Amino acid sequence: MAKQYDVLFRLLLIGDSGVGKTCLLCRFTDNEFHSSHISTIGVDFKMKTIEVDGIKVRIQIWDTAGQERYQTITKQYYRRAQGIFLVYDISSERSYQHIMKWVSDVDEYAPEGVQKILIGNKADEEQKRQVGREQGQQLAKEYGMDFYETSACTNLNIKESFTRLTELVLQAHRKELDGLRTRAGNELALAELEEEEGKPEGPANSSKTCWC
Amino acid sequence: MRETSRLDKFKQLLAGPNTDLDELRKLSWSGIPKSVRPMTWKLLSGYLPANVDRRPATLQRKQKEYFAFIEHYYNSRNDEAHQDTYRQIHIDIPRMSPEALILQPKVTEIFERILFIWAIRHPASGYVQGINDLVTPFFVVFICEYIDQEDVDGVDVSSVPAEVLRNIEADTYWCMSKLLDGIQDNYTFAQPGIQMKVKMLEELVSRIDERVHRHLDGHEVRYLQFAFRWMNNLLMRELPLRCTIRLWDTYQSEPEGFSHFHLYVCAAFLVRWRRQILEERDFQELLLFLQNLPTAHWDDQDVSLLLAEAYRLKFAFADAPNHYKK
Repeated sequence: MAKQYDVLFRLLLIGDSGVGKTCLLCRFTDNEFHSSHISTIGVDFKMKTIEVDGIKVRIQIWDTAGQERYQTITKQYYRRAQGIFLVYDISSERSYQHIMKWVSDVDEYAPEGVQKILIGNKADEEQKRQVGREQGQQLAKEYGMDFYETSACTNLNIKESFTRLTELVLQAHRKELDGLRTRAGNELALAELEEEEGKPEGPANSSKTCWC
Repeated sequence: MRETSRLDKFKQLLAGPNTDLDELRKLSWSGIPKSVRPMTWKLLSGYLPANVDRRPATLQRKQKEYFAFIEHYYNSRNDEAHQDTYRQIHIDIPRMSPEALILQPKVTEIFERILFIWAIRHPASGYVQGINDLVTPFFVVFICEYIDQEDVDGVDVSSVPAEVLRNIEADTYWCMSKLLDGIQDNYTFAQPGIQMKVKMLEELVSRIDERVHRHLDGHEVRYLQFAFRWMNNLLMRELPLRCTIRLWDTYQSEPEGFSHFHLYVCAAFLVRWRRQILEERDFQELLLFLQNLPTAHWDDQDVSLLLAEAYRLKFAFADAPNHYKK
């Protein structure tokens, strides 16, 4: 049986309540858009397999609730993420201001070397815009992140941003990947890598080959 | 016919002069007929007194009290101290289900007022996403007293007089408050009630169905990943509204129904899917399944079976020592 994927990543979506995290995700995984998506409680889960540079990457995406009260729960998911989308809504200055707080949460709770990109969502709502494109770019530059304005509604930059974050995670783990390439076809080695990757949290963090 | 005699029994009990609440709970446990549900819920929740003669005055007093809250607090919704609360409520309500009900402007406003007033008066928890869902069953049950609608998802309030709607709003507020009094630690800082209940659910399932428990554990599925929402929204996100209403007939008839008995219902609910769970051999498929359980076609019968199983578990495992577990 052909293997379904080569590597597995965990990505996380964070940002204020109502900025459209769930909509981004549904557009990406199911190519669907509902303007009034039911609010996320705790953390929701979706997945998709994409191919980047000839590597089949299965991405597990954890979609978090934005309300502050949930952060005790949602922070538990930071630790195992390899890539994080920080999302604000271009029609909400407030959600943009809060990115600072989200970044500091990432610094505190996510593993070192986690890849981040900044997303200004709802780019189709031009008449309601409160955050300029250049403001987004500026902020992303300050934090050394890539930046995309997206619209789940019009399907703008959705695939691009997910692919980009995946590429960044792949690059950050190039060493492990080179190992993967030279052993290509070696199912056992792949399985080991996956196994390693799937281990529960714990002191395994010190292991150099572990992606957790 | 059995149903007719059940309905007669309800009517008899409700007629007073003093409703025997223990009898009413016993009778309600297996479901309340639609026509007597509004009154029965108001009694079971503790909103209305058992004495028939005192009911109209109590209703009037409580309704007046709620309208006074609105007078007093509602204008502060855009004040700096409260704007975050109001804003969160305001963006959550249009995202609720059933959309056809919630998006009627009158209904949206009612829900906003109820939730805002509740949040302001309960600063220890304030408004937390999920609390909004708990308004819906009360509102729908109370409004169905005034409109003839078989399908609870399609309730249209336009024919209901403003005065009646106002009183329903007040009744909904008070009944929801009573419910929340029993589960407030679900929504306070760090949500200790939920954390504890998810742990208890895990412990319970490990005792009642070790194979399911080990299967989940072996695939690294954590209970918090699927059961958080079961606790936070009392299974409302997992079941159609009509089933939640039936579930709440029983929850209001059980001592600590929404907190303690709910655990056993969650355990029965999880084990209900044991065949499908054991067939899935992959973390991702398991989690996707558990976060999207196929209950869209569920009816009262399914809920009754679930409740019967929960009841059995409660007796078999309630205070039983851990020797059930090897």
